Amino acid sequence: MATNDEKNNNLHHANEPEFDEITHEKLLAGHEYDGIRELDNDLPPWWKYLFYLTIIFAVVFLLVYHVFKSADLQDVKYEKEIAAAADLYKREDPAKAAASLTVLTDNESLDDGKATFDKICSVCHGKHGEGLIGPNFTDEYWIHGGTIQNMYEIVINGVLEKGMISYKDQLSPKQIQNVLSYIISLKGSNPPNPKAPEGDRWVNGEKVSE
Amino acid sequence: MEPEKFYYDNKIVKQFAYATMIWGVVGLLYGLFAAFHIFLPSWGMHLEYFTFGRIRPIHTNAAIFAFVGNGIFTAVYYSMQRLLKTRMYSDLLSKIHFWGWQLIIVSAALTLSLGITISKEYAELEWPIDIAITLVWVVFGINMFGTLLQRRVSHIYVAIWFYIATWVTVAVLHIVNSFELPVSLFKSYPLFAGVQDALVQWWYGHNAVAFFLTTPYLGLMYYFVPKAANRPIYSYRLSIIHFWALIFLYIWAGPHHLLYSALPEWVQSLGVAFSIMLIAPSWGGMINGLLTLRGAWDKVREDPVLKFFVVAVTAYGMSTFEGPMMSLKWVNAISHFTDWTIAHVHIGALGWNGFLTFGMLYWLIPKLFNTKLYSIKLANTHFWIATLGILFYAIPLYFAGITQASMWKQFTPEGFLVYPNFLETVTQILPMYHIRAFGGTLYYTGLLLWVYNMYKTVKAGSFIADEESQAVPLQTQGKRAAGEGWHRFLERKPILFLIAAMVVILIGGIIEIIPTYFIKTNVPTIESVKPYTPLELQGRDVYVSEGCYNCHSQMIRPFRSETERYGEYSKAGEVVYDHPFQYGSKRTGPDLAREGVKSGKLYKPDSWHYNHLMDPQKINDKSIMPPYPWLAKKDINLRLTPKKIRVMQKLGVPYPEGYDKIANDELMKQAKGIADGLKAEGIDVEPTRQVVALIAYLQRLGTDIMVEKNK
Repeated sequence: MATNDEKNNNLHHANEPEFDEITHEKLLAGHEYDGIRELDNDLPPWWKYLFYLTIIFAVVFLLVYHVFKSADLQDVKYEKEIAAAADLYKREDPAKAAASLTVLTDNESLDDGKATFDKICSVCHGKHGEGLIGPNFTDEYWIHGGTIQNMYEIVINGVLEKGMISYKDQLSPKQIQNVLSYIISLKGSNPPNPKAPEGDRWVNGEKVSE
Repeated sequence: MEPEKFYYDNKIVKQFAYATMIWGVVGLLYGLFAAFHIFLPSWGMHLEYFTFGRIRPIHTNAAIFAFVGNGIFTAVYYSMQRLLKTRMYSDLLSKIHFWGWQLIIVSAALTLSLGITISKEYAELEWPIDIAITLVWVVFGINMFGTLLQRRVSHIYVAIWFYIATWVTVAVLHIVNSFELPVSLFKSYPLFAGVQDALVQWWYGHNAVAFFLTTPYLGLMYYFVPKAANRPIYSYRLSIIHFWALIFLYIWAGPHHLLYSALPEWVQSLGVAFSIMLIAPSWGGMINGLLTLRGAWDKVREDPVLKFFVVAVTAYGMSTFEGPMMSLKWVNAISHFTDWTIAHVHIGALGWNGFLTFGMLYWLIPKLFNTKLYSIKLANTHFWIATLGILFYAIPLYFAGITQASMWKQFTPEGFLVYPNFLETVTQILPMYHIRAFGGTLYYTGLLLWVYNMYKTVKAGSFIADEESQAVPLQTQGKRAAGEGWHRFLERKPILFLIAAMVVILIGGIIEIIPTYFIKTNVPTIESVKPYTPLELQGRDVYVSEGCYNCHSQMIRPFRSETERYGEYSKAGEVVYDHPFQYGSKRTGPDLAREGVKSGKLYKPDSWHYNHLMDPQKINDKSIMPPYPWLAKKDINLRLTPKKIRVMQKLGVPYPEGYDKIANDELMKQAKGIADGLKAEGIDVEPTRQVVALIAYLQRLGTDIMVEKNK
């Protein structure tokens, strides 16, 4: 870029050195701004090639996605991801599991149930199952039935008008069984600040008429 | 010709330098507060003025426009006078610029504290302040070009190229992104809606980073680095190539903030492609900065000024490589909505902008006061504390971002989300937030040392308001001479330079924005999507005012891990009445795009929302959301409802003719319904309270499209 035009300016800068004293590189004549000089160095080759490379990437990227359309756009990619997941995870029908459902009492299942409870259920039913927005789990009263089958129905279908959503896409049947077993184990735990009983009284899986 | 005697205006430089320091102390204190508040929700003291949603915009605005902004003006007013061998064009305009800008900052801090915001990131300020910014910016421009036209130097130096590009681009960005229709003095709705609003906003937001945090600071670097090192610029040719490439390419990259969103994918892809092409032009600046220091490395060891500059330029190189990497869709799928982004921007902000500012004033204040720096040792201490501060700030956040993203995406062998409760993924990274706050504290401590050192330097020196200098007047500039390079010619034609820069920066924006606005296929409409009810509209304004978007996105990306967690992914047609859009950019809490869908994954009853807004920790003691008790005490402004409807109609939202007259009746009907429902759950709240409107809005979110699906 050091062109003939500098001749015009050389008048002002007749005493300026032509070369940098440390690097011995050529200084541009006439390029002096408040004492700042500029060197006549070329673009570093690696920098130039990096720039070319990114330009090639950009062009190829745009061509692949939008001209040749040889790669999937995000909607198609998503459909494929969902299809692949449907093939991969043959989930058992949550309704089927209901029939053979039993209350578990082993520690491993109850611990897993508690973990799920703390993560999900406690948000509405209280940290200790004492009830908050949702009903109390520690008394003998149940709105939608007191058997583990009744409760299972609620977990997989939800009670939408009350704000209880369906968890069939978030919890596996085994996880639901564990958490329900844990909930059943809370009976009589008398946590502080219990919510008043709601629904019917159930004892040993039987509705008690009062 | 005889040299003329003239005086540099140092007073204006001093004022901007002081303002830089003062706003640095304030803006970064807000940042530090936010860093603690994010894991200590009680720090808000149950006051609306101190919730994260309001603190964070104050922090970002103060850091960008007050701290860095005044830093820019310090650099411009000092270096331009010297590079052009003239006093600034008008002392009066300099004064108006200075005081106008400070007033804007104060009014920004006040209005944002009060929840007066349009919620577009780094452009939150309401319309009267937007107009004030435009006016002050024009004053700055006249002063700048007046100075250029009365210069005594034939050619303009690279630093000034960057100042010119900054001025014109910021003007264009600010004006277009501020198209809004006022409802009242403190409330307006943006002209654009939904995806279009998002595109305009991130065209602005990205280029605010480019043309407010980057190009003016490159100009600053080009002046202060060679001055402090007393070394020539490495390559003039590189300056030319990287300058034009940078300003041309930068403008296109905005859509990388909206990857995997409902933005038309061709625009997203342009964002990716141009971001990658930005690596070399950005590094051009880094190379010219670092290689200018060749022959001065022994000085770098001793001189704190150069130390700060070296780390600043290195941080610039790092974040301008990282940025393009984050723009790759497969990286963005992980990094977006997480703390990775926060770490990334702070490498730039703390490293590049912060360190350049520190270095500049360590060099400049002693010059202005004709003395030596009070304590080199203290400056070195500042350097090490601040460098450590950046590391303690950024590294934990990278870790937090990657950890959280992977928790969001993990599935059990049965194909269920391993962490279906969002809060778990937050609790996991809290220790990282603690370390980040420690890093921020270190950086802030350094900042205070800096200010103290500057104060002591000022005390020891004597200020010369008008510094004498002399130069030969400029002879008439002729046409392009034979053999004169085209760029060399342009360098002595500042107005032509301005026009050239403007043309170059307009291209990208025009190609990306105009088609999405005028070509219908880019935003497919959805029949079932209807305007918000008046109550929902009012509730939406509460959502905007509280800055909910600072922590909650409303943009479900097309990934199975997101649709399993939140529901159907977001479509462009769903938000056509969203003035402004509320996509958000960070998930400190869960996405809310489908919050209202009853059969959805996140549905909560009204009473849950009420209790949760009043006291999130009562619902879950690990929650880090601050409480919003005032929402149950403050009323929505019913007087504004009809006006809001009319403004929306003007913006093209299809409310029926005359709907504004019955809007408040409709509003009360819906509000009473919600209040009655809450009463049944034992919650007593007046139907006109803000919380009722907000609940109405939350329960509407994402529901329109689901109606269609059920058909």
